[in-house]
Formats: sequence, structure tokens, C-alpha cells
Amino acid sequence: MLRLHLQRRLADFDLNVDVNCRYQATALYGPSGAGKTSLLNMIAGLLRPDAGEITLDDEILYSSQKNIDLPPERRGIGYVFQQDLLFPHLSVDENLRYGYRLLSAAKRRFAPDAIVELLELGPLLQRRPTHLSGGERQRVALGRALLSAPRLLLMDEPLASLDQGLKSRIIPYLRHIRRELKIPILYVSHSVAEILELTGQVIVLEKGQVLAHGDFFKIAAEPGVLPLVEQHGFENVLPVEIVAADAAAGFSRAHCFGQELKIPHTSQPVGSRLFIGLRADDIILSRQRPEGLSIRNALRGTIAQISHVDGTYWVYVDVGRRLAAKITREAVEELGLSEGLEVFCLIKTNSLRLGPGVE
Amino acid sequence: MLSPEEWEVLALSLRVACCCVLLTLPPAVLLGWLLARRDFPLKILLDGICHLPLVLPPVVTGYVLLLLCGRRGPLGPLLDSLGLTLAFDWKGAVVASAVVAFPLVLRSVRLSIEEVDPRLENIARTLGASKLRAFCTITLPLAAPGLLVGALLAFARSLGEFGATITFVSNIAGQTRTIPAAIYTYLNQPGGEEAAMRLVIVSVAISLAALVASEWAARRMRRS
Repeated sequence: MLRLHLQRRLADFDLNVDVNCRYQATALYGPSGAGKTSLLNMIAGLLRPDAGEITLDDEILYSSQKNIDLPPERRGIGYVFQQDLLFPHLSVDENLRYGYRLLSAAKRRFAPDAIVELLELGPLLQRRPTHLSGGERQRVALGRALLSAPRLLLMDEPLASLDQGLKSRIIPYLRHIRRELKIPILYVSHSVAEILELTGQVIVLEKGQVLAHGDFFKIAAEPGVLPLVEQHGFENVLPVEIVAADAAAGFSRAHCFGQELKIPHTSQPVGSRLFIGLRADDIILSRQRPEGLSIRNALRGTIAQISHVDGTYWVYVDVGRRLAAKITREAVEELGLSEGLEVFCLIKTNSLRLGPGVE
Repeated sequence: MLSPEEWEVLALSLRVACCCVLLTLPPAVLLGWLLARRDFPLKILLDGICHLPLVLPPVVTGYVLLLLCGRRGPLGPLLDSLGLTLAFDWKGAVVASAVVAFPLVLRSVRLSIEEVDPRLENIARTLGASKLRAFCTITLPLAAPGLLVGALLAFARSLGEFGATITFVSNIAGQTRTIPAAIYTYLNQPGGEEAAMRLVIVSVAISLAALVASEWAARRMRRS
């Protein structure tokens, strides 16, 4: 368990954090400049807090009171930066083994061959970092951190520099690490979608303060959190339970608060529960249950709230959980939408994104 | 080709230049790192002092060295206790050219260390490397082209050093008479032009060879 109790004066604000991370994977979420990277640097020992205490599995890494400040090399914390930052003068193989070679045999946890296989780095070993693609470099950086046998893995927006296609190819590796290697991960991101592919446990940081901490679906309803999420590419999240899979048709049937939803096909067994993500832009509102449309999903709910920010209307529909839909003003007026009204949320199956399973 | 006396001049010059490189590089790496990576009070002053020999007339530098390192100078007793004689000795010529060349080496080393992303050192630390190890395995190899350029500058500056050397350790054949001092001496002797010309050609050849060699080495480093 990672316990953080820290204060540090930063350029624009004071960072003040007091949280415990108990879970296999915790995401640190917040807008740019919220102090996320500074917090990671303090955990890694690269930035000294002004006061406080950091403990990892009951070992004190930093304590202003007890005058303890372990140097980064003695903390056993792996760090993957936003840019891959491979050592440019070393080959991929030498990069991977940099930390590994510094460990005594007893402290080595993974064999280089196993990591090479896990991250599919075999064909790259003799190359120089400059001859790798962005996704390859990030995988090498990940492998290099893993081979140093960390007790905790810090990842600072490791996918931010990658395009969408590459992102979705890296995330399965991260899930592997979490499940198979059992290394706890503290993962910084400002993309809710990305976080939810990995974990549901979120710490929301804004201007150096912890706004909320816990299960994303619970804290998303807390004041202050939703506006923050909305500003940065809002994604609705719904818990569903798989009731049937139809691989041939390419979708699975799921239940969501007693209503049926067709979601993209998943290999998860019937009865398993998982989260699905849905962009606020991808929801169409209708007063009647539609007929003659290709859209397969229509969730019935009542309008809980309508708010407008900078000319955009946000209609919150309660379908068991509040779904935010982004609607134009004309649509709100033409449909005569008002709070308390019953509406249908029309959702294309393909606009639903499968999130992580519920643990 | 060259007379025995001229060979002696050439050998002495090369010896002084190589020693000058060896003497300037380690402190330049230390100070270069300090100036590139650390903030401390009076940093600008230290920077200024290090660069002073670059702007002072070499004769002034040589005279200051003479005052500092002479028998009765403040460093005299220290040098005595170490058994080092600098005055009128080839080692004094090394010191004179090292002091004059130091700012050039420092500048080149510092710039090349500044160009190494400090986050690479941080990564190395999180991977378990001590500060020193991170410096030696990451920063230094990445700054190597700059170190090489610094070494070449020290070599060349030492080869061309005249003012500070002649002021500090005089112009003694076989002891402190390097190529520039020898050329100067020959030119003041009747009929010495021919010997002077030979040394001029030699020094052009050495300088050119050093330039070509360092460029070749820098390219190799960049490629690998």
C-alpha cells in the first residue's frame, strides 16, 4: 500500500495530498498542470516535498519529521515517463538490462527473456532507440522499468504521445502487468476512457488538491468532479452485465439497470459485469421509442437536469445512473426538453467502448 | 628533414599539449557539470573566474602564474612540498597552456552536458543507478562528442600557446621552448627563416591532422 501525506509549494499553487492507494491499479486524474507529475516525482524521489511522509508497504521512503529521504535508486519504484526517454546511446537490449544489471541476483524478479516475450520486443533487441516507432519505444521503456523489479510502477501519461491505434495496442500489455506480474500501478492520465480501460480506482487532483478519491463511478457524481471530467472529453460510463453473446452477429447482449443493451462483442463469459464507456456526443435523444432506425439501443430515462455551458447544452438523463448527452440548443427547443420529461437515449452499438471488468 | 633540435621542439610541444589535455579535461568535466546542473550562490562569479583567461592577455595570465607559483608566491610552499618545480620547467609550460585553454574546454564540456536531457539521469536513478553511476553511464557518454571537441581545443590552444608560457617559464631550449617559442627564436636569428618555415609547416600539419581526427571521431560517435 502506498501512503501519501505531502505538502509542497509549486509555482502556481500548493500541492497538498493525503491519500492511501490500496489497489492494484490506481489512476491519478486531473487537468494539465494539476500537479500530477510533481506528485509522481515526489514519490519517485526526484522532487523533495516541503513536508510530509511517503510510505510504501510500511517502509518510509520520505519523512520530513524523521528526516528520511531515500534517494531514487533505493526506493524500488519504476517510472515510465510521458515521452519514452530511452537511453539513445544504448541498444534496446542494453536499455532493457540497464536496471536489471544493477540488481543483485536475489533481487531480480523477472527474467529479461520473459519480459521481452511479454512485450513482444524480440525483433527489436539489437536496434537503437532512434530506429523504433513511438509504440515500440514506449514498450521498451515499460520493459526497462519492469526489469528493475519495482515494487510500484509510476506511469506518467505513457500513452499521451501515441495515436489512438497504438494506444489500444499498448493497453492490453498494461493489463497483463497488472494481472500477471502483480505490480501495483499508479497511472497518470487526463483521459477517463484510458483510465477506465485499466482501473476503476481514481484519485482526482486539481490545483494540487485531492478533489475526490475512490471508485470512479461513485466519485463522478461528487460536486466538482463531473465538470472537470466534462471539460476534458467527457465519457459516460455504465455498468452492465453480460447476458448473452452472439459472436456471429458481432455483439453481446447486456443488461444495464434492467434495460437491454447491445454492446460490441466481448469474450467475457455470460454473467460477468463490466463497464462500458460512451461519449456524450454519441447520444441521441428522442421523445418516442424509435422505429425504423438502424440504431439498436434505446435506454429509457427521465431528464434529471439541463444545463448549458458556453452555448452547449448538457442534458442529464437518469437511466439508473445519470448519462450526460451533448445536444444543440435547437434540438432542446424543438423537442421541448425539460426536466422530469421521459426520453430515450439512442446509442449505436459501435459507439460503446468496453471498459475493464468489475473486480 | 628536421634537425635534432627541431625534433626536440616538436616532441616537447606534443608532450606539453597532451599533458594539457589530460590536465584540463577532468576539472572541466567536474566544473562543467556543476555549472550545467547545479544552482548555487556566486555561480556567476565562479563562471567569470573560469573564463577570465579567455579574455585576459596571455602575458597577464603568465605573469599572474609567475606571481602565484614563484618561490615566494602564495602557492610556492605548496609546490615545494609536493616536490614540483614549475618555473623554467616543461611542467610549467603545461600549467600555463592548461590555464589558458581551460575556459575553452569548460565551455565545450558544459554545453554538451547541458544538452543531455536531465530526465535521462532521473530515469537511470529510478532504475537503481547512483548519482555517480548515472553520470558516468548516461551523461558522460552522451556528452562525449563535446568532451572530444574540448580535448581538441585544449590540444590546439596548447600547441599555439606563446604569451603565457614565455612569461611564466621563459624560453629555454629543451625545457620550455615549444614550437611557437622556437619559431620566434629562429626568426630572431640571422638565417633562421628556413628552420622557422619547417616548424610552421609541422604545426599546420599537426593542427590539420588533429582537426580531421576529431571530426572523424565525432562522426563515429554520433553514428553509434
